[in-house]
Amino acid sequence: MAIADVKEYTHLSPEEVEELGRELDAIRADIEESRGDDDAAYINRMITIQRRLAAAGRITLFASKYKPAFFAGAAMLGVAKILENMEIGHNVMHGQWDWMNDPEIHSSTWDWDTAQPGEQWKHSHNYVHHQFTNVLGYDNDIGYGVLRMAREQRWHPVNLGQPIYNALLASLFQWGVALHDLDLEAIRKGKKDPELMKKQLRQIGRKVSRQFAKDYLLFPALAGPAFVQTAKANATANLMRNLWSYMIIFCGHFPDGALHFTEEEVEDESRAEWYLRQMLGSANFQGSPLLHIMSGNLGYQIEHHLFPDLPSNRYAEISDRVRPLCEKYGIPYTTGPLYKQYGQVLRTIHKLALPNKFTRPTRHDYPETPEVPRGRRDDADRPTRRVETGGWTSRASA
Amino acid sequence: MDVASQRVTGGSEPWPFASRGDLGLDRRRVTQCALSRICGVCGESLSRPVAFLGSRAEADANAFHFPPTHVACAEVAVTVWGEERSSALGHASHPAEWVLVTTSGFEYVRPGEEWVDRRSVFSPNSVIETRAV
Repeated sequence: MAIADVKEYTHLSPEEVEELGRELDAIRADIEESRGDDDAAYINRMITIQRRLAAAGRITLFASKYKPAFFAGAAMLGVAKILENMEIGHNVMHGQWDWMNDPEIHSSTWDWDTAQPGEQWKHSHNYVHHQFTNVLGYDNDIGYGVLRMAREQRWHPVNLGQPIYNALLASLFQWGVALHDLDLEAIRKGKKDPELMKKQLRQIGRKVSRQFAKDYLLFPALAGPAFVQTAKANATANLMRNLWSYMIIFCGHFPDGALHFTEEEVEDESRAEWYLRQMLGSANFQGSPLLHIMSGNLGYQIEHHLFPDLPSNRYAEISDRVRPLCEKYGIPYTTGPLYKQYGQVLRTIHKLALPNKFTRPTRHDYPETPEVPRGRRDDADRPTRRVETGGWTSRASA
Repeated sequence: MDVASQRVTGGSEPWPFASRGDLGLDRRRVTQCALSRICGVCGESLSRPVAFLGSRAEADANAFHFPPTHVACAEVAVTVWGEERSSALGHASHPAEWVLVTTSGFEYVRPGEEWVDRRSVFSPNSVIETRAV
């Protein structure tokens, strides 16, 4: 079945699909041509704000024996960590700012304030997730290997614990992400390349040690008598960041309306079809400019997936052009307030804790399809692109 | 010994990471190099500046087919495969001149339906230096 059979755009002729692709190419070209000093000033300003906020938080925590200082310091540090991870680290490591020719703000040199090494993130996120977005069995971000997020994923009694796993994943998100590229399942089955595993474990070990030393030894020690309180405040800041980044990331692909895809054959997509899969597999949320900055502009998830290496501060402007295109071509543009999008994610997590026979699909215009085997693919298993029309078929999420 | 030399001399896969040798480029790995930002020769994380190795025509068109590499890897690659086995670097025939472009960033352009040559294209967007190798 070709991608053109996906219900959301069966009304489009192949020529219209290609025309849509050309219109999206034009948006990309316009942004690339207009990238300049204002954009550079934006990311430099974000980095300055983030560093000052982190410094203010750390200094405030020297007085963390006093409750107001504890809460103020933890809050400032938490916000600084969120800014660093979401709007700065994630986007710099996508290469969004490489064009500035700045040796520091570059995808090859930046490493973020979280437990996962940047190199592993660039594989698991930039490549695996962005190339195989929402393709069941290929995109490891679907439930992070812990949660069943699509009806086509085979149910197992262990899924009954999903509400608990979800709470644990949210609270410990940076540690879940740290192990994401390691592929524990492949290790358990003895399929992991031992050399690669050793290299990844060394990277994780170094990064975790550095993170742990910074937040739970060095800065608490500098606070002297406030050692324990400072360590607690740092843990609180990390928890804030974990909960926030988990929620933002889950709202990007699991609200109602964001489709999952199954791979029926190893086939290729044209650039236009790839654009379409990104649009249909992603979901935005609405909010103030501040909310968008704090979420790394991932409230514009559709625009991010269309153009992952264009500067994040331009996504709002891009969305003003993408949304009318969706209306013009009759393609859904999934968006809503953050609380509503996350509510739908939570509903899906709880619903899919049960076998399909006990629940109803959110959408009735897609028939039930065979379940996708459990487990993850390694790079060698991921499909090679072919030149013919693609073979992704879409499915409603829950 | 640098990583490129290790790959060149190392046993089971004496080709660049993103290559299938005489069969040309490995499209899956080309995409992986572009998105994971790893070197098309050694498969390790890129450093700055990023290098692109190609023909003079590719450099003039600012459209390369071989994925980004380390500068050292590109220099080793052109000496090992540039003369006799240029297909391993994505060139069916040996280019009259090899050009090395260093850049900070690049655009990755997926093939469009109408393209005759259905390979992805890399366009350096902040060129630092262009030189013949």
